[in-house]
Amino acid sequence: MNNFGVIEVASQKTKNAPGWAYVPDTGLTPAAAAALQPLNRKRAARDKANVGAPDLTARQDAKIRKDLEALDKDSHRDAQIPIPPKAGGSRGALSSKLYTQKRDHGADMTSAWIAQNKHTPNVRKILQSQKTFANHLDDYHAFLALAESNPQLAAQVNKPTPTTTARNSPAPSTITTASTNKRSSAASKRAAVTAAAAAAAKEEKAGSSKRPKTQPQPKPAPADDDDDGDVEMTPETTEEATAAADPSELLPPRPDTSTPLDDSTTETTETEPPKPQSYPPDGTILPAYARPPPVPHPGDDDPLLVSRVPPFPTDEELRALMTAPPLSYTEARAQWTEEEEGRYPVRRFCEVCGYWGRVKCIKCGARVCALECLEAHREECLVRYGL
Amino acid sequence: MAGGGGGARKSRAAGPVPLTTTLVLDNGADTIKAGFVSDDKSDDKPRIIPNCLARDRHRKIYVGSELEKCKDFSEMAFRRPVEKGFIVNWEAQKEIWDREFFDDKAPNKCNPSETRLILTEQPNSLPSLQTHCDQIVFEEYGFASYYRGVGPVFNAYRDIQSISRTPQVSIDSPAEVILLIDTGYSHTTVTPILQGRPLHPAIRRLDVGGKLMTNYLTRLLSVRHFDMRNEPYIVNEMKEAVCYTSLDFKGDMEKTWKGTRGEKREDYVGGAGIAKDYVLPDSHTRFHGVVRDYEPGVSARARKTIVSTEDVLTLRNERFVVPELLFNPSDIGIRQPGIADLVKQSLLALPIGLWPGLLANIVVVGGNSLSEGFCQRLQTEILKRFPDECRVRVARPEDPITSTWLGAANFAKHEHASRLEVTKQEYEEHGAAWVARKFAAGLGLDS
Ligand SMILES: [Zn+2]
Ligand SMILES: [Zn+2]
Repeated sequence: MNNFGVIEVASQKTKNAPGWAYVPDTGLTPAAAAALQPLNRKRAARDKANVGAPDLTARQDAKIRKDLEALDKDSHRDAQIPIPPKAGGSRGALSSKLYTQKRDHGADMTSAWIAQNKHTPNVRKILQSQKTFANHLDDYHAFLALAESNPQLAAQVNKPTPTTTARNSPAPSTITTASTNKRSSAASKRAAVTAAAAAAAKEEKAGSSKRPKTQPQPKPAPADDDDDGDVEMTPETTEEATAAADPSELLPPRPDTSTPLDDSTTETTETEPPKPQSYPPDGTILPAYARPPPVPHPGDDDPLLVSRVPPFPTDEELRALMTAPPLSYTEARAQWTEEEEGRYPVRRFCEVCGYWGRVKCIKCGARVCALECLEAHREECLVRYGL
Repeated sequence: MAGGGGGARKSRAAGPVPLTTTLVLDNGADTIKAGFVSDDKSDDKPRIIPNCLARDRHRKIYVGSELEKCKDFSEMAFRRPVEKGFIVNWEAQKEIWDREFFDDKAPNKCNPSETRLILTEQPNSLPSLQTHCDQIVFEEYGFASYYRGVGPVFNAYRDIQSISRTPQVSIDSPAEVILLIDTGYSHTTVTPILQGRPLHPAIRRLDVGGKLMTNYLTRLLSVRHFDMRNEPYIVNEMKEAVCYTSLDFKGDMEKTWKGTRGEKREDYVGGAGIAKDYVLPDSHTRFHGVVRDYEPGVSARARKTIVSTEDVLTLRNERFVVPELLFNPSDIGIRQPGIADLVKQSLLALPIGLWPGLLANIVVVGGNSLSEGFCQRLQTEILKRFPDECRVRVARPEDPITSTWLGAANFAKHEHASRLEVTKQEYEEHGAAWVARKFAAGLGLDS
């Protein structure tokens, strides 16, 4: 590793250095790549404290962010590939009307051939939508923010009408999600207002359009179902639905059985008449799971290893886990824990050849491995940043 | 890639379709896996359909499986209805579905009003996208019944112990306990599953998938060799052919470093068993890239003069730094844990008593798991993070790309499917929100 072939200079602070510096690989890159990294407030604050870190200039920071955005794209060019006409036109040749739609989410004009007559209003709206995933995610966050700041208005927005059922879909654990929402409150409020306005506009538009015949009339007050984070089936389920689903879903969880490993098949018969083909009833949730726990470990002070005898989860715990609602898209995204924040070595690589980046260009902060790559880099560096 | 069962499908399309027929769709960002399951006759493997509109350099457009007719993939551009793993653009998705499943000449012709649909989705979708999906299924296509379920979970309906290729005639119950890792085009997820139920609080996602890795390889090649930015197809093919997961990253780094100026390091000159030559397609005689053993004796310049018509790249650390992103996303500045820490974070959300069972039953599916060395590296990295006595077993089915479909095909025959499905009539009576709640609630408990 000492076979380096270059002379180390004092530090990057030396103004008259020959243009590079040897840097030991230490710290984290603080604010790297915010594009893919929604930060929570706490972390943002930590990063702010790190801004003075010498390793990463604002320019480099921006470069990483830009690079990650590019890596996230589906294609280098924006591929505007239109739907080609069908040969033969077997299935009702794409008919009639050209919609030119200007979306509220951006300035892009899009036009789509939509066969107007054969779609329900819901379907027509969906097919015309040119929203990206990011647009949908923004909408969702805006709605959560609204629910946080103004639950009543959120309920209004959330009120199901035939053409706004999209907004009536379940938002499991809306409240908790909102409270862990990573956006600053100012931004959320702004977004909430926009969302409310947009939704209001849509509802207005929807009201004037003809209601689809297939759409059921919404239940009187289902909004509370959505807001209390409850994803259990609604009790007014009709006979057919109940037959398909398990009646136990409608019942409160059974009290805990204290003997997790014994089989008490008799219990199930008393609650409900046996269903045809029902799932094999068992008194416990994991009956086959009778293996002895791992033996104690010397390193038990590690929080991961506190398992002197890992307590087997109670049925109650398992029941809660198996019926817990899904997390939101944002909640499921893995983030560095505090511990990992410190432990993760951020490895830096030579931008020219990909080997370890042990030398840093003073001008732009780019890493290279040694002199040969530095020279190659400096040509590019000159072109890009001038002297 | 398409399955060879065309004859069977044709006859099914011609005859009356029994109501018990299920169309099983694993609707991935890169490919759709599709096939039928019914009481008497089922596809033993899915047809694999590119889920895209593609345009070649002569501006000819291919939809879905039409891409099979394309020979020259240079400068191919793609439009994909699935973004971040979820169906976002229904204009494009409907066009592909129509041509593959519903048009008169569709390869998997099906009559929705007599068919049940089982459709996979990625975990943790957005409610609005789920609703769109349900509305299209019932209002546009009018399927007789339908279940939309989390893709990874269907793998619990395979015989994981002896991961077999064909769907079983019947499966008594889903696997007791599985830790399912799905590493696909859009991202990588960890899903703990108990008896066919996903443990939602512990599902975790890493936003690194095949797309990002192909783009990263594209960038490396464009900086070091040729500008490949308009060649996503060719680079992806190259990635699949040459990239591997390093079991000794630092060692492999040393072996592929050229050294300082003027230095000729032995490993570099000899290739150290890592360097490979890759011959790019030329759009005349060669439409796919070719991997060649690196020839140490021949200098780059000499090789160029010998075969001047070939564009040859010598790939060194490009081979292993790309799959490395799954293990160290911070290498390119992504502030997310690598896949092994993803597993750890998932388990930390669960009672410790569940860990041994989950760690001993890790199953990986998805195209990225095909990278050579992936399972071994994953196992090693997970072992490092848990007590020594923990038995860590990482299994990859022999068909990691179609595994979710095969599981869903088994699920279609299981009693759970009829418990979870929603009929068109129920949709019309109760509406989209009710359907979404029912799907989100899942199986619930049995007793
Ligand atoms: Zn270098
Ligand atoms: Zn520079």
